[in-house]
Amino acid sequence: MAHLNDGTLRRMVDDPDAIAAPDRDHFAGCADCKARFDTMSADAKSAEALLVAPAASFDAGSAYRRFSARPARPRFGFHLPILRPASRGMVAALALVVLVAVGVTAAVNVSNIFQPQTVQPVPISVADLESLPDLATYGDFKWSQQPSPQIGITKDEAEKIAGFSAPTVKSLPQGVNDSNVTYAASTQVVGTFTFSAAKAQAAAAAKGKTLPAMPAGMDGSTLTLSIGPGIIVIYGDLTVPSGSTATPQQIKLPKLIVAESKAPSVTSTGVSAKQLEDYLLAQPGISPALAADIRAIGDPTTTLPIPVPVEYATSSKVTVQNVQGVALGDNTGIGSAVVWIKGGHVYFVGGTLKQDEALSAANHLG
Amino acid sequence: MGVDVGGRQIAALRSEGDSFERLFKAQYARVAGIANRVLVDPQEAEDVAQEVFMDFHRLHSANSAYAAPWLYRAAAHTALNRVRGRKRRERRELAQAMDEGARTLDPQSQAELNEDRRRVREALGKLPAKPATVLVLRASGLSYSEIAESIGVGTGQIGTLLRRAEAALRKEVNRGTP
Repeated sequence: MAHLNDGTLRRMVDDPDAIAAPDRDHFAGCADCKARFDTMSADAKSAEALLVAPAASFDAGSAYRRFSARPARPRFGFHLPILRPASRGMVAALALVVLVAVGVTAAVNVSNIFQPQTVQPVPISVADLESLPDLATYGDFKWSQQPSPQIGITKDEAEKIAGFSAPTVKSLPQGVNDSNVTYAASTQVVGTFTFSAAKAQAAAAAKGKTLPAMPAGMDGSTLTLSIGPGIIVIYGDLTVPSGSTATPQQIKLPKLIVAESKAPSVTSTGVSAKQLEDYLLAQPGISPALAADIRAIGDPTTTLPIPVPVEYATSSKVTVQNVQGVALGDNTGIGSAVVWIKGGHVYFVGGTLKQDEALSAANHLG
Repeated sequence: MGVDVGGRQIAALRSEGDSFERLFKAQYARVAGIANRVLVDPQEAEDVAQEVFMDFHRLHSANSAYAAPWLYRAAAHTALNRVRGRKRRERRELAQAMDEGARTLDPQSQAELNEDRRRVREALGKLPAKPATVLVLRASGLSYSEIAESIGVGTGQIGTLLRRAEAALRKEVNRGTP
């Protein structure tokens, strides 16, 4: 019979009875296993002695009173540097670009659902971002299923929330290890945007601009966007200095981030994809170059556009997991990423890595 | 007849609040104890426990099945992170503690005890998060199945993880021994 494994022997140190009869018989006559057991037992006792802490008593009642007296912080919310007030304009603009890009690929009517199967880069300049109109002024957005991200959970919890297995990189890039992994997950998020011609015109008039008329049937029509469920796996120490609100400079950039989400889908009522594209791309603030790039993304019903900030990042088409993907690498050397769609799921692998490392990690995703 | 959505929301909030208070009171001593095992500083351990409950309250429901394991793991991680970040401060405080300790223990014994604690905690802080967490949770009296739930692995893996962690701790402590 083979020798007892380390796990079984170590368990015997704490619980001598937790051993199956055949293992017990082997142990009784095996000098090698006994010697290993003695070493483990000594290490266990040593660790126990080393980790002794002087007895302390904690009063939960008074601790709860102190807890209740602390200033409230938002529940089920979290703050990222990108969501600081100064960044909100840019985030809103980015959201518009993504929604415009996704929106123009929406199906002709509600019975046709947009389901991207591939990705395509769309270059965007900072000037594009700054001059984009505010999507909120074109109608009303409403969550029908609110985002409820769960952060710092276990892998099992993340998988339970998302309903699929967490993505795992089988061969981690050099310098990345799995000793400090953070999991986050979200259930599906569904939002509905209802176009309002009156609201759009009023907002434009307030800024002294005139909008092109909405095509027939667009006023009151809706776009329904579904994103997720998804899982994000972050490798690296995300520790921020305690006792203060972290600033962007204090946030440690993760070495590797892996994300998997069900591909987004869009349904549209009352407006065709062509009408939507023509209308949104004719808005003041959308540069002709950006409009041309969005129009050129290919098959609009099956392509997910990936906005690429041209001043900060380069993009290239790559083959990843035997499908076409987009590799993003920034010019500052800070990091790179790969995005692709396969089997109805969108995947992202990126971090403070070289592009070939990100691509290799992406190809080793299981 | 209208549906009393507001009333239901208030009732749900109250119920969540009650559940959280129950969870807090049931688990506080254990969570603070885990932090104290790492920090050997009851006051700082209570700070960690407050921080951990605050984070949990912001992001999770007190009725979650994973509430207790989540709190245990977070207490260990947060305390270990503090140990990693406090080396310089600790040396200063240690010198103060040694002065105070000299009044109750003979100076030689107190100095040795403090130095041992510092060295062990420094070694613990150098271990990767998972083995360090397993060691701390076991030393805090958690069962194999409680540790397994907290770090998200099968109970059968705990023996092996513990064995490796103990060997790694011994190696790290010996490395730091002059």
